[in-house]
Amino acid sequence: MKTYTETLYDSYGQEFAVDKVYFENKTDHQHLIIFENAKFGRVMALDGIIQTTEADEFIYHEMLSHVPLLTHGNVKRVLIIGGGDGGILRETCKHASVEHITQVEIDDQVVEMCKTYLPNHSAGAYNDPRVNIVINDGARFVRECTEKFDVIISDSTDPIGPGDVLFTSDFYADCKNCLADGGILVTQNGVAFMQLDEVTTTAKRLKPYFADQTFYCAAVPTYIGGVMTFAWASDNKAYRSTTVETIKQRFNAANITCRYYNPAIHIASFALPQYIENALAADVSE
Amino acid sequence: MKRINIEPTEKAGVYRQMAEQHGTPLLLLDCDKLAEQFNALTHALPRVELYYAIKSLPHPAAIQTLGALGANFDIATSGEIELLRAQGTRARKTIHTHPIKRDKDIRDALRFGCTTFVIDNIYELEKFIDYRHRVGLLVRVSFPNPNTPIDLSRKFGCREDEAMLLIQKAQSLGLHVKGLSFHAGSQCPDSTNHVHAIKQCGKIIDAVFQASAKILSILDIGGGFPVEYITPVMDIQTFCQPINAALKELPAHLHIIAEPGRYLSAPAMTAVSRVMGKAKRGDATWYYLDDGIYGSYSGQMFDHATYPLTIFSDIKETQQAVLAGPTCDSIDVIAEQITMPPLDIGSVVVGHQMGAYTSASATNFNLFDQAKIVAINVPELANSNITLLHK
Repeated sequence: MKTYTETLYDSYGQEFAVDKVYFENKTDHQHLIIFENAKFGRVMALDGIIQTTEADEFIYHEMLSHVPLLTHGNVKRVLIIGGGDGGILRETCKHASVEHITQVEIDDQVVEMCKTYLPNHSAGAYNDPRVNIVINDGARFVRECTEKFDVIISDSTDPIGPGDVLFTSDFYADCKNCLADGGILVTQNGVAFMQLDEVTTTAKRLKPYFADQTFYCAAVPTYIGGVMTFAWASDNKAYRSTTVETIKQRFNAANITCRYYNPAIHIASFALPQYIENALAADVSE
Repeated sequence: MKRINIEPTEKAGVYRQMAEQHGTPLLLLDCDKLAEQFNALTHALPRVELYYAIKSLPHPAAIQTLGALGANFDIATSGEIELLRAQGTRARKTIHTHPIKRDKDIRDALRFGCTTFVIDNIYELEKFIDYRHRVGLLVRVSFPNPNTPIDLSRKFGCREDEAMLLIQKAQSLGLHVKGLSFHAGSQCPDSTNHVHAIKQCGKIIDAVFQASAKILSILDIGGGFPVEYITPVMDIQTFCQPINAALKELPAHLHIIAEPGRYLSAPAMTAVSRVMGKAKRGDATWYYLDDGIYGSYSGQMFDHATYPLTIFSDIKETQQAVLAGPTCDSIDVIAEQITMPPLDIGSVVVGHQMGAYTSASATNFNLFDQAKIVAINVPELANSNITLLHK
């Protein structure tokens, strides 16, 4: 039997049966593979780390897009950093109120390959007339950008490899400059149980630039080791007092169908496990 | 074997044929011999999992042959990682053993999927702080061995008393040390230093557990298993018997690994070169071969090796001779003050036991081409385009 073993951690990991390899490519010291697994459908892995699977991607993509969009309540312009598989774009395009989406992806081959081999991720969203695709380094884009956005979503790889500039203090400062008044920045921030200091480091780097900073959570099966955290940063502290009724109204008005996201999950996802609260509190008191 | 062995010309046939087919200088890599060495060492060390030190002979056919036998691999550089990647080697079968690394070296290894690294000092330990959730470390301990041609505990390895401090420091930084490693020396005459090092490492492992209840689970006993050049060496079973006895005294949970390089690769390759010119100088005839110290015989300079040579002649009388390499440098001499029958220009000269640290350290000095490696008896690989996925 052919198998694929994730090598994210030395002492713990997950293994997939490989039914068929659709695509395998090594470019500039990156190894990328897309294969079929009976439980997770099409699985994409980069440099030994699972990036996305057809079966569980909805959890990640719905939570990283609908939570900031529905909290804001009046999003016209969205900036997506990374996200070459098109999943965030697909979910963002579901919002009829959104007028413009810029997506900055460093590697145009990723976009083309995902359109071909993971077509259900973007589900045609790349053809949406509101979408502007920019092939550029996300960090450079926000550094040089003079436009403003209501929501910025950073859908990056883990902080080893080309994605690591998307976890720096400079990047967060540049995102702040690209946000309109009341804007929200959200970023994927790893699995806290396995990498607790990603949470404290991100908190430390974001807090100087935003009046309000926290995390919210969702468990994604193939991001192993417990709940994944999403970093949240905004100057509007009132967002986090938004009631479930308000979210419900907006969700119903948007007329979006989801498989993981719902207004109750939205509110509950900001409740952090005590080990994360403790780590954040300890880091502040240091 | 002797330094110079003289065989009748009828025995030169296979080498002449290869020389004509492929040109010289040539290195013949016999994958069957590599497999034979791997099986012999596996048999001699039944409790030990072998990680081939690919630096000794970083050749695709060697990786394929040993990989097919279930060998693991010891890597030290990003270049070696690329070689393994091209062969479809699973990253979980590799350990990175260079004690000194740049940040990029660590990242390259992690991106390949290798998560085991070796450290021997505090500066190196600190380089892993950013990667602490992803890696498992081995602490390399130094056990100097004055009885080997190459003392591998001089440049690398911490003192025994420093090992405990490093492990404690690692724990305080949230880094996982999973075991110890040592290198008893290269081409060891006997296994005395291995046995000493195993015993001392056993004490450190015990002391770490007593002090902090931390379980070390891996002991890497390095290499040093000898092969015969021109001086006879202990046979591998006899050499390993005291090692096995010492390992028996260690806790049963310990996973024992080794990093053989030379023992596996040295006997697997044979150099074939030809006489490209000759001259009478003083009492001796100088023969200029198309391979030399700057090429496949570089191990005579860098590896302190002296290779057994074979020439082919049916002439009984002998003369004083010098075998020199092709370059313009006067140190490029393979053998001098030797006595042998006269050779014609174009004659074949064969070097034995030339698999380890030969082509690996060959240069392009004078822009002479390096010897071409021709692999024979390469195992067939099924579905070689997706070997990455092979269990």
